[in-house]
Amino acid sequence: MKAEISWLDDPQTFRVNQLPAHSDHRGYATAAEAAEAKSSLVQSLDGSWGFAFSKDPQHRPVGFYEPDYDRSDFDRLAVPGHIELAGYGQIQYINTAYPWEGKHYRRPAYSMGADHPEKGMFSTDPENTVGSYVKHFTLNPELRHQRVSIEFDGVEQAMYLWLNGHFIGYAEDSFSRAEFDLTPYLQDGENLLAVEVFKHSTAAFLEDQDMFRFSGIFRSVRLVAKPALHLEDMTIRAGVDDAFVTGNLNVKLALSAADKLAGAVKVSLFDATGNVVWTDDSEAAAELTVQTTVNHVHLWNHHDPYLYRLEVTLLDADSQVVEVVPYPVGFRRIEMKDKIMQLNGKRLILNGVNRHEWDAHRGRAVTAADMAHDMQVFHDNHINAVRTCHYPDQDDWYYLCDQNGIYMMAENNLETHGTWQKMGAVEPSYNVPGSLPQWQLAVLDRAKSNYEMFKNHAAVLFWSLGNEAYAGDDIAAMDKFYHDADPTRLTHYEGVCRNRVYEDRISDMESMMYDPPREIEKYLQNDPDKPFVNCEYMHDMGNSIGGMNSYIDLIDKYPMYQGGFIWDYIDQALWTKDEVTGQPVLRYGGDFDDRHADYEFSGDGLLFADRTPKPALQEVDYYYGQHD
Amino acid sequence: MANTTKLNVIYGDVTLGLSGPGFHYIFAYDRGGLESLVRYGKEWLYRTPKPAFWRATTDNDRGNGFSTSSAAWLGADMFSACTKIEVAVNGQSIPLPIAPENNKYSDHETAETVAIKFTYTTTTVPATTVTVEYVVDGAGKMTINTHYHGAAGLPELPVLGLRFVMPTAATGFDYQGLSGETYPDRLAGGRPGTYHVDGLPVTPYMVPQECGMHMANDWVKVTRATTQNNADPDHQPFSLTVSQNGHPFAFSCLPYTPEELENATHIEELPVARRTVLTVYGATRGVGGIDSWGADVEPQYHVAGDSDHDFSFEINGTTEA
Repeated sequence: MKAEISWLDDPQTFRVNQLPAHSDHRGYATAAEAAEAKSSLVQSLDGSWGFAFSKDPQHRPVGFYEPDYDRSDFDRLAVPGHIELAGYGQIQYINTAYPWEGKHYRRPAYSMGADHPEKGMFSTDPENTVGSYVKHFTLNPELRHQRVSIEFDGVEQAMYLWLNGHFIGYAEDSFSRAEFDLTPYLQDGENLLAVEVFKHSTAAFLEDQDMFRFSGIFRSVRLVAKPALHLEDMTIRAGVDDAFVTGNLNVKLALSAADKLAGAVKVSLFDATGNVVWTDDSEAAAELTVQTTVNHVHLWNHHDPYLYRLEVTLLDADSQVVEVVPYPVGFRRIEMKDKIMQLNGKRLILNGVNRHEWDAHRGRAVTAADMAHDMQVFHDNHINAVRTCHYPDQDDWYYLCDQNGIYMMAENNLETHGTWQKMGAVEPSYNVPGSLPQWQLAVLDRAKSNYEMFKNHAAVLFWSLGNEAYAGDDIAAMDKFYHDADPTRLTHYEGVCRNRVYEDRISDMESMMYDPPREIEKYLQNDPDKPFVNCEYMHDMGNSIGGMNSYIDLIDKYPMYQGGFIWDYIDQALWTKDEVTGQPVLRYGGDFDDRHADYEFSGDGLLFADRTPKPALQEVDYYYGQHD
Repeated sequence: MANTTKLNVIYGDVTLGLSGPGFHYIFAYDRGGLESLVRYGKEWLYRTPKPAFWRATTDNDRGNGFSTSSAAWLGADMFSACTKIEVAVNGQSIPLPIAPENNKYSDHETAETVAIKFTYTTTTVPATTVTVEYVVDGAGKMTINTHYHGAAGLPELPVLGLRFVMPTAATGFDYQGLSGETYPDRLAGGRPGTYHVDGLPVTPYMVPQECGMHMANDWVKVTRATTQNNADPDHQPFSLTVSQNGHPFAFSCLPYTPEELENATHIEELPVARRTVLTVYGATRGVGGIDSWGADVEPQYHVAGDSDHDFSFEINGTTEA
């Protein structure tokens, strides 16, 4: 297959040769490796890559992926990282309008009719910057002679991949893991990996989040070996009976084999102290389901995030262990009962925040230390819930939320604000995805990637369809996907309030943003059908968070008021060097000569961009402590 | 004993001087206010205190248009003038004691108390007045009574206070009140206690704006170590304490005026911190938080422009200090 640059212009081409999305479990060669969480089956490709920057597709080094291409003028670039923060390409912050506002007139493909495919919009865009990345690698001994795939955890916004000159595949969706099979083209000794990253494609219309607009390989990249027997996917359902005493565990496994699928599968459940609770031995099969009950199960919740450990061990026909997969399991039940969301039979109160991934030095390429810090801030301030606004986060964050009992509203990567709201007015005349069939598969794929990757995390209570993308058949199809795939969780969508025609088909809860307390009270007094959640409230821009009690008072007054998520967790600003004094300073939108910009609107956090707390945090601590 | 508690009164031609053990105050008729507040040889004032009406626009103020609707108070904050001065000795009003009225006095005048009241007329349309009365006793205790005359047609006030600009930057301040930065609509999380703050921190909001408010205080003690007096080589810390008079007060203690903060789009644009700006507030508007593009601060946290406001506080006497 040949890579086509026209894919950038086509909303119906968003994944080419990608492996199907699956559970985020990690395989280990031995139980000892699993215990140390260090897998010899994984080879990181993070670090220094060869790199060439091009101001537009016409100036890109076509054919740079060929082994004999002259790349002597390539620079070096750190992966993961944003191209713009390395000094290539202009930094821009913009909220609702698209980043090309004032520079290009654009309508999304097919939004003005089936005869408007808008060919060439991005493939010939004179401002669509291109990053050409190359990485030489030699397989670690443990990965040799095995099936090997490559995982890209985040590449913004469209990427083409080659190995040793062979085209491998194409991916969009900047915030979901993209995985490709490299096996057919791996060679002994040194291999040449090449990734061509375009800043914009039709995905740009779906990724209009209120944030700095970056491009590049901004999350980790790794090679993953699949042993002779490999656990491809796993679906864990850990619920509890109506009496909340007996746990129900159902584990569905999907296996693949290098050759013949033969051997055995051992599935064990351990409690938090390491005692075996249950174990099962089955014959290896492409698909198998095992289940059990757990008497007097220790339930998982915010205050007691008790995690069992599931361990799946794959043995070959000679009974040799070939792969060990551990996974934390939290037993809990989230359900809608009498129009109130309940966790383990108790009314759920969300003391939440919206959290963008942000690091003032590194942009959205956040570190483990950033995440650990954030978790500590949650813990110290009675924050019990997080909305992954408005895209899936780094995988580690979900495990941290499992461990720390943080309720997650797991949002997929979608925001199309600029296609339906202009200067505050609702004007959806060219909204995408809307009900356009040409955009539906792309958004469904985003929903599926989000679900498949994070479906086993106890912390995830809600699937969120995205943010501010208006409403239409395509959003309704996403909601249906989540419900069909996962009967154990509830769905959320902010746009439920934007077009009431769809309200019964796009969100299990009523969701509003920035609704004044008295308006929420009117809703609650009017015998509503659904509980109310503030998906965004208490806009902490600058010196704010005044009057929070007017929201918190609703909790005791109205059982169907279930709290919300403060906007937002951390200011988005970037450390730069003051052009006058040379001192490090924090800069925001417009400070990079970026126009059109939304300036300081990115500074809405409970924390300053350097992660020091804003004074208002003590107020949040106080009020969230009232119902913790 | 009686003599030691009496105030020395200097009936000058341009100023009214008041002194006693460890203090010397000068009220300037030409400057329209308290020009000099010297305690144990250290000057505490850079310019005369003036009523404070403005706060540096917050993001929420900008978003909901409050800084536009209340912009008249920015002018009033900067340009309101002293239009009347009244003096009372031992509770009795006297004619303004300038020549020839003061020819009857000597260089050895004393009193139990002296009150001097400055009336400031605002630049707003319509105009209104704010009176600031200083009542000084023989111990150097200064009771400051401020009255705002509400007038129909005036926009809501960002704040109402009295601003003291000190000649050099403080090393820090101590106060008894609530933890952290608090506002009328954001103080539930403030834990009551006695707190020390090092230096004069400006809360580093991305765009400099109103910050550093402390609600509900019994007292605040500002400590400096430097003066502008060329003959004063001493760098030992020295302090001034402001206390409540019947009701807790709000204050902020920053190195900048609201106008300096207002003009900066980034914190690094602020000038080098040279002064201490201590503002004591009788009323302050809440910050709001429903959104930052239109939602108003809840009504109970507004400060009406068309009704009267009073507040009073004390600067401690030297014998108590």
